[in-house]
This record gives sequence, structure tokens and C-alpha cells, in this order.
Amino acid sequence: MVNAKSRSMGQETFRRLLKNKGAVCGMVFLVLLVLISIAAGFVYNYDTDIIAINMSQALQPPNANHWFGTDALGRDIFARMLYGARYSLIIGVGSVAIGLVIGVTLGAIAGFYGGFVDQMIMRTVDVFYSIPNIMIAVVIVSLLGTSTMNLLIALCFTCATSFTRIARASVMTIRDQEFVEAAYEIGLPTWKIILKHILPNCLSPIIVQVTLLIGTTIIAASSLSFLGIGVPLPAPEWGAMLSEGRQHIRDAAYMCIIPGLAIMFTVLALNLLGDGLRDALDPKMKR
Amino acid sequence: MLKYILKRIMLMIPAILATSFIIYFAMDMTGSDPATALAPDNATEEQIEQLREELGLNDPIFVRYGKYMMGMMKGDLGTSYVTKRDVFETFMTRLPNTIQLAFTAVFVATLIAVPLGIYTAIHQNTWKDTGGMVFALFGVSMPNFWLGMILIIIFSLNLKWFPSGAKGGPESLVLPAVTVGLGFAALITRTTRSAMLDVIRQDYMTTARAKGTGERDVIFKHGLRNALIPIITVIGMQLSNALTGSVLAETVFSWPGVGRLIVDSIAKRDTPMVTGAIIMSCVLMCVVNLAVDLIYAFFDPRIKAQYSQKG
Amino acid sequence: MENSSILKVKDLVVHYETDDGCVNAVNGLTFDVGVKKTLGLVGETGAGKTTSALSILNLIPGPAGKIKQGEILLDGHDILKMNQSELEKMRGNDVAMIFQDPMTALNPVMTVGEQIAQVFELHQKASKREAFAEAKKMLKMVGIAESRANDYPHQFSGGMRQRVVIAIALACNPKLLLADEPTTALDVTIQAQVLELMSNLIHDRSMSMILITHDLGVVAEICDDVAVMYAGRIVEIGSAGEVFNETAHPYTEGLFNSLPNLKQQGEELVPIKGMMPDPSNLPSGCAFHPRCPYATENCAKEQPGLRHVGGNHFVACDAYNDAAFTLGGGVN
Repeated sequence: MVNAKSRSMGQETFRRLLKNKGAVCGMVFLVLLVLISIAAGFVYNYDTDIIAINMSQALQPPNANHWFGTDALGRDIFARMLYGARYSLIIGVGSVAIGLVIGVTLGAIAGFYGGFVDQMIMRTVDVFYSIPNIMIAVVIVSLLGTSTMNLLIALCFTCATSFTRIARASVMTIRDQEFVEAAYEIGLPTWKIILKHILPNCLSPIIVQVTLLIGTTIIAASSLSFLGIGVPLPAPEWGAMLSEGRQHIRDAAYMCIIPGLAIMFTVLALNLLGDGLRDALDPKMKR
Repeated sequence: MLKYILKRIMLMIPAILATSFIIYFAMDMTGSDPATALAPDNATEEQIEQLREELGLNDPIFVRYGKYMMGMMKGDLGTSYVTKRDVFETFMTRLPNTIQLAFTAVFVATLIAVPLGIYTAIHQNTWKDTGGMVFALFGVSMPNFWLGMILIIIFSLNLKWFPSGAKGGPESLVLPAVTVGLGFAALITRTTRSAMLDVIRQDYMTTARAKGTGERDVIFKHGLRNALIPIITVIGMQLSNALTGSVLAETVFSWPGVGRLIVDSIAKRDTPMVTGAIIMSCVLMCVVNLAVDLIYAFFDPRIKAQYSQKG
Repeated sequence: MENSSILKVKDLVVHYETDDGCVNAVNGLTFDVGVKKTLGLVGETGAGKTTSALSILNLIPGPAGKIKQGEILLDGHDILKMNQSELEKMRGNDVAMIFQDPMTALNPVMTVGEQIAQVFELHQKASKREAFAEAKKMLKMVGIAESRANDYPHQFSGGMRQRVVIAIALACNPKLLLADEPTTALDVTIQAQVLELMSNLIHDRSMSMILITHDLGVVAEICDDVAVMYAGRIVEIGSAGEVFNETAHPYTEGLFNSLPNLKQQGEELVPIKGMMPDPSNLPSGCAFHPRCPYATENCAKEQPGLRHVGGNHFVACDAYNDAAFTLGGGVN
């Protein structure tokens, strides 16, 4: 059976993705979020709008002046929320990006060469895998101090271990196939074989994982900020805002609800997109 | 089989050593100087230096690490800077609370999630499936500490059904367990569903039907047994990650568990407590992971065969 | 057609509805299988053979797959009208199936003995112990040591797994065996063994069989009758002798011509020009007409019905409207 329509795999995947309403909603939301976080930098002035203390306005529930209300120090929650998007996005994408590069490199090497190299890499990865994300973050933050950058570094580890495993598994599957042998025969250097022939075939699980892992990382980042070992105050990171909100859970419950909704919808959008990508990339028809 | 168990235990040891060393090393570099912390307030620089010598703090790191691990095996992890109580003892007092929370959460989550996952897989693409999946999707997307706060707002402050803090009778376990468990349930549901969907498409399911097996037996007797491996993987992961999830729930609900111990100790710069608690937690996780791996072998004869041969 | 037919399929139509369109897997399938006869169902991949076999057991995977119309009469009972419990009684008991890929057809977490025993437990109300004992006997019959009944599928080679699958299928002495390319996934040397085993067992038990294959050599060896499928329909059907020696349909002729023949060494293989049609986009009229060297204008307009051309031999080709038409009269 031959399908006369021939599209590149990317186009075909994108077309299938567009059919998934959830994934489309997710993508739209994420695009908006990115635009908002970029715009927030221009619209708001960090010192005057975000962190300036204004006790006369403290603890106002949502009203016409302050759409999401104000917090205990009189700061406008709406502005802080929009600004806060930047932290989540930067940490989420940054951690995953760094983890991706490190993880895929390590995983490809481990999977391709096998043997001793493989064992060494995987044992190390296993050790990091067995330490929960939060513990690693605790240790790193103790070492390096609390800051956005350090949080990003701390969260890289889990991302890297995840990608190492995926890359290794994919490479091991592809490595033994015949077209790789053919590439050897033609005389391509090893790194080129890995880069141009093997990795493109491993893309699908990696792409899906990137999307889902950004969501997980955002939750981890906000969890750590909530515990006080993430992004330092007074930065308007959503998790940190929830931690402040907790002090006022009885009298200003809105402080506890709104930042959490932001986190949830962002991660939801990422999960919808990730699931949609997984379905779109899967050549087997699920119907 | 027994050989395999012993072998895995042996393999676990270097992993624990490596993990604990990394943590010890890192905490050592960052923690406050024990001598300064333990010396009386008016001690001179020389006296502090002398204390350092006595405590063996000028020894190379490996020696100190070795002594520390030896101590751990005897149950001595040092003394807290803050509470002046034995680290090991404090940890062991708190551990049951965390275990209670974690196990309850995972148990309830599994009880709900596995049937839900099977149900949605069978009714794929109907509204029943969509409903279940939406629930699971939200569950996986929300930060559990936020869920905890929402639950407090609704059920504690407004409806006054459940208490919001500290350990009391069984009703105080409900909200924390739901907080930890909902995220688990969502993930387990998704995994169960996708594992069952994979299994449903397999050829041996058609073979089973072609034999004349009734549909219910096809799903449960033939299908589920094959799907169990990824499901157990996820449940196992959740169990050993329960500690992580618990950290947040314990903080929100003031639950006296190990997770909160760690977080509080960090805030108070109580290095021996943090070091000891984290290392003990990691040891625990390794043990749980091992137990889960052994359970696999029980369910999948292919894995059992691999292991019996290796042993 | 013979009066003593164990299976009569009439005008079967099966569609798969997917996002990308409707796949017309089977389009008006009509054939009979004689009692104690082996029918070879021949065709290339995508012709609809497996779908036809699954239809006989009413096992088309829903919700995408739907049997749109048709009758499948097993010993006079219409399978398509049976309810779930009647179907379950019929499957494995009156009709059994052997699948193509022995590697995936067996459940990895159950022993082979268990899997065979299940058939006895289901249809003969045997106890677990009795059923297992019977299972061991079946293993012996297909040439596997009884002691291996407690082994798992992964401990067997491909050929042996296929024997297990055969044991499962024959356990309750079905009247009709559906064998879907049972040897395609096996090594050539094993193929012969497995075919011989099947052939012997079937004759011993006086079973009918539909052997689905794309290997004409196998058909020649063990089939009494042959049906050639193209694009979801039977285009030629008759006894093996008739179809092989008095080939009637242009497609069948093309199939034979594209086989290498030792006697014609040195001559070029003659492939059939063109490609198999896309089942979601079939040509109008006779589905073969774009590739047929004898096609006329009329072929694109009407789908030809099966017409009698002698003995038990039927062909779906309007060229035979002309009583003097024979093949070999035109090759492009």
C-alpha cells in the first residue's frame, strides 16, 4: 500500500498535532505566556512595580485597582504574577536545555560504545537518579547559596539523568541496525554517524520528554522556592508567592490560590502539548 | 533466586556509599564549622582550634567520612547543633510518621488509580475515557503543596471537616494523604492506561479471544498480567519518591515527618541533622528500589529467568 | 460450488474508519470452503486476507473496524448474527486460528502448557489438572517434549512456538482451521516441517482449512482449492489444478509470471506493472484494470462478478463475456 502524499516527517507530525485540540490549546497558552513574560519586562519596572513596599495598600482582596489584590507588603499581585512567569519559564527551559545537552551526550556515548564506558556512565547516573530532586537541590543550594541560577543548576541533574537514559536506550536500539553499518562502510567518522544518522531517529521520545520535563521542573522549582531554598525573596516567583500566601491563609486566601493556578495551567499546557506530541509522533495508528 | 537477592544487596552497597559520600562531602563544604558551633561562646581562637583537633576535623575527608559511616552502622550520626539531641534517634522518631503518610497515600492512590486506568483504557476515546484522563491530567499538573493549601482552605477553614495541622487522630491523616496521594493517583492512572492500551493491541490478546475466552478474562487474566510491569515500576517510583512528596505535604500540614525535619534543619543550619537525615533517606530509597525490583521478578517470568541465570 | 461446504462467505464487506479516511479492506468477498478440503487464499500484502480470516471469527478490531454487510455461514449458522456467548463457544471450538507471528501470538507471562490447557477448560469444562494433562498430549502431538509444558514462550524457538500455536488451535478438534501465513515468519527449513505437521494433523482429523499465504509454492503443495484475492475481493477461485494449469484471471497470470522459474532460466522476470491500489482510494470498476494488459473501457465502469469458466472454476473478469477469450493474448 503506497500513500501517494509524501510529506516530511516534521510536517506530518505537525499536521497530526494540530488535530489534537488539547495540544493546540496548550500551545496557544504557552505562546501567550512567553509573550507575557517578555512584555512584563518592558511594561513593569522591577524596583517600583514589583518589589516596592507599600504598606498602606497591604492585603487588599482583588478589586478594580489591583486585579489580583495585594500581598502583605502592599505589592500588586497581578504585576508580580506576570513578572513571575519569567522565572518559571527561564528555570524550566534552562534546566531542561542544559540537562538535554549533557544527558543526550552522555547517553549517546554510553549507548554507542557500550561495555565499560557504558557501565561507568550508567552507574554514576543511577546514583544521581536515586537521590530525589529535592535533596540534590538542597545540597547544591547549601553549597552555592540561594539564587535563581543555582536553582537552575540544581534542577539540571534530574533532567540530565532522564535524558541520559532515554538517549542511551534509543541509541542502543538504532546502533545495531543495518543503515548504521552502511554509514560505517562509506567511511563516515563516528561522531558524524552519531549526530547525523543515529540521533535523528531517537528524536521522538526526547522531544516528548523535553515538553513533559519542563513541566516537572517548573513544579520542582516552585516547590523549592516554596520551601525557601529556591529563588530568593523578594523575587515574585510563583512558588515563593505561595509561601508568603501561606502566612495569610486565613485572612487572604486569594494569595494562596492565584499563583498556584498559574503554575497548574502552565504545567497543564505543557502536559497537553507533550501528550499531543507523543500521539502525533507515534506511527502506529491508535484508532 | 536467593543468589540474585544477595547479589543485588551487594550491588546496593557501593551505590549507597557513593551517594552518601557525595552528600557528606557537599554538606561538609557548606556547613558551619562544627567546632565553632560546639564551642562555648567565649572560646578563643586557640581553644576552637584545639577542639577541632580533638574532634578530628583536620583529618582528610575520607577519614572523616569513613568514621562517619562506621558511626552510622552503629546508629550514631552525631548530635544536632540545635536540639543537642542524637541525630539518629530524632530521625527514627520521625520516620514512622513519614512512612505512615507515604504508605497511606500510595495505597489509596493505587486503589483508585489502577481500576480507573483499566477502565479508561477499555473505553478508550469515549467520554468515560476523556473524563478519567482530564482528572489525571489535572492531578499531574498541580503542585501538591498548592493542592494541600486549597484542601485546607476548603475542608479545614470553610467546611471544618478535617484538621489542618499536626498529627492527631486518623482524621488528621486524611488531608495530607490526599495531598500526597492525588498526584500519585494521577500518574498511576496515566501509566496504567497507557500500559493497558499497549497490551490490548498485542497479538496474544487476539489469540486469547480466538480461543473463545470471555472478554473480562481477556482483559484481566491475559492482559493485566502483562501490563503490571510498568504499573509496578511507577508505583515503586512513587513509593521511593514519597519522601519527596511528603516534604511538601509535611510542610504545609505541619506533619512531624522526616521531610519537614530536613527542611527545618536546613533553615536552622543544623548540618549534622541535615547530613544524617538526607543520607538515611537515600539509604531507605535504595532499599525500597531493591524491593520493587525483586517484586518485578516475581511477576514477569522473563525477568525471573534472567536473574536466576545471572545468579 | 460444492454442496457440502463447511463455510460459505457471501458478499462480505469490511471497512476500517480512520482519521485519514475509510479503508475498504474487504469489498464483496464470496467463497466457499468444502468439507475436509484445504482452500489456499492467495494474494499480496494488503489484499485483505487477514481481515477476511478475522471476520470469520468476528474478531475485527473495533471501533475502527466494522463489518458492514455480508453473511458468513458456518455449517448453516450465520456467524455475523451470533451473540457474544455463542461467538465465545464457537471460537477455538468450531473454528480456530493460527496467527502469522509466533513470537507475539503467545502470552509471555503464561506457560505454554497453561495456554493450551485454557482451550480445554473453556470448551470441555475440564478441570485444571485434566486440561493440563490434555495439553501435554497436544504438545507431544506437535512434536514437543511433554516436559516442556511448564516452560514459557521465550524459552522456545520460533518454529517451536508456532507448533504451540498449532497445538492451541487443534486442541478441541475444530471443524475449520484458519491459518494466516503460518510459516512466513519462520526459517525456510522450519517452514517445511511446520507445513508437513499441519498437513498431517489436518488429514488425521478430517478438518477443513483456509491457508492464507502469498507463497504460491506452498499452495501448490498442500491445497485442494485456490482462491486469489485482489483489493478485497476474490478474482479467481477453483481447484488447484484449474487455477494453476488453466489460469483465468489476468492478475493470477501476472502472479505466476513474476515467479522465477528454473525452467526458464535466463529469461527476465515479468513483474505486473503498477502498484497495489490504496484501499482507501480504490479504482472504479474492476480494481485491477489500471494494471491489466487486457483492460477495456468497460472495465473502469463496472465491477465484474464471478463467472463460471468450467468445472469448479470461477473468474471475476468481464473479458470472459467473450466466450472465446483466453489469456496469453496480450502482454504489454
